[in-house]
Amino acid sequence: MTEPHHDELEALMCEYLAGRIEAFDGLYAALGTRLRAYLLSLCRDSSVADDLLQETFLQMHRSRRTYQPGRPVAPWVFAIARHVFLMHRRGSARRVRFLERVAAAVGADDMMRDDRRALADVDAVRRALRAVPADQRRALVLHHVEGWSFAEIADRLGIRLNAAKTRAFRGMRRMREQLK
Amino acid sequence: MSAPNALRDLVARDLAPARPLAPPAVRALALVPIAAAIVASVPALYELRPDLPSIGALRAFGFSIAQAIAGVAIVAAALRESVPGRQWPLAQVIALVAGGLLMPLLLPGLAAQAFDVAPPPAGAVPVGVACFRTSALAALPALAASALLSARAFPLRPAVAGALYGLGAGLIADAGLRLWCEFSAPAHVLAAHLGAVILSMALGVAAALVSRQR
Repeated sequence: MTEPHHDELEALMCEYLAGRIEAFDGLYAALGTRLRAYLLSLCRDSSVADDLLQETFLQMHRSRRTYQPGRPVAPWVFAIARHVFLMHRRGSARRVRFLERVAAAVGADDMMRDDRRALADVDAVRRALRAVPADQRRALVLHHVEGWSFAEIADRLGIRLNAAKTRAFRGMRRMREQLK
Repeated sequence: MSAPNALRDLVARDLAPARPLAPPAVRALALVPIAAAIVASVPALYELRPDLPSIGALRAFGFSIAQAIAGVAIVAAALRESVPGRQWPLAQVIALVAGGLLMPLLLPGLAAQAFDVAPPPAGAVPVGVACFRTSALAALPALAASALLSARAFPLRPAVAGALYGLGAGLIADAGLRLWCEFSAPAHVLAAHLGAVILSMALGVAAALVSRQR
């Protein structure tokens, strides 16, 4: 699948702001797959990623006035998606704490093990990512997590195309080493 | 990939044309009349600093106006922070806050004849309290306006946005106060002037967090 050019996304966003539902369909078609992949990389649960994707588009709808015509759409939408994930994670952490209290009360903590294991996996990835140098980490996250093309990354970071590729590659290699 | 019907229907029901918010720098211009009123009203309501003839009106007003402009610029930075995808990197947030907090410390030195002009020992506390209270109160209009402007966007890090617009509002108020207060002694500047700016920052954080809860 070819990624839509940011001019196309901008045009869709402007039509969406003008009140055309077809533009919303177009944005969903253009961004849905990338956003879902991003959310899946954050939450690592397919059904949760689907829920968060819908919540992201709802938040995007509610805050559509904050999009500034002429600016790239992807960073705006991905920032909203990240916020939706963080709100979800905060809610999940509260749920785990609640479960812990319930488990302590009834003396049955088996029900929490799965939740704890999932959180431990997320922590391991986060620790590995922290060990990657900042410039490589940025390129790695933008490409492999947020789905940006290397050309977009090079443009955003003000570096050459090859440098963007090299940073992402080295970052991924470093992260794999950390996770071994 | 197509939108689920339930989501599409929900959006379609609520989909009216929406006018995008103006760029942050343009929205921050709404603060200019408030800043001008604050800078003008503090000396108008009280009096101009007594050492004005010796330091010169240009120096006194010039530095105050520069600080008020810096305050508006920091509010613009807060409004940019309130737009998804346009958040400042942490290093720049730190630089903005550090630079903003340095201004109330530098201004007395630049706009005074000496670094150690202190109120008389017996009046140090009342003068300090008067400066702190006036500065904190004078910051409220700019703080309220900035909070409204920020809340109309979608701050994803409300504490950062609030700290920045609180800092901007505090600087605007302190700029006016500097036309009244001639004291440059470090204890007075830190406790009364910088203290009021930090209080304004804290109020900004609180306002942003409260508006997020709603």
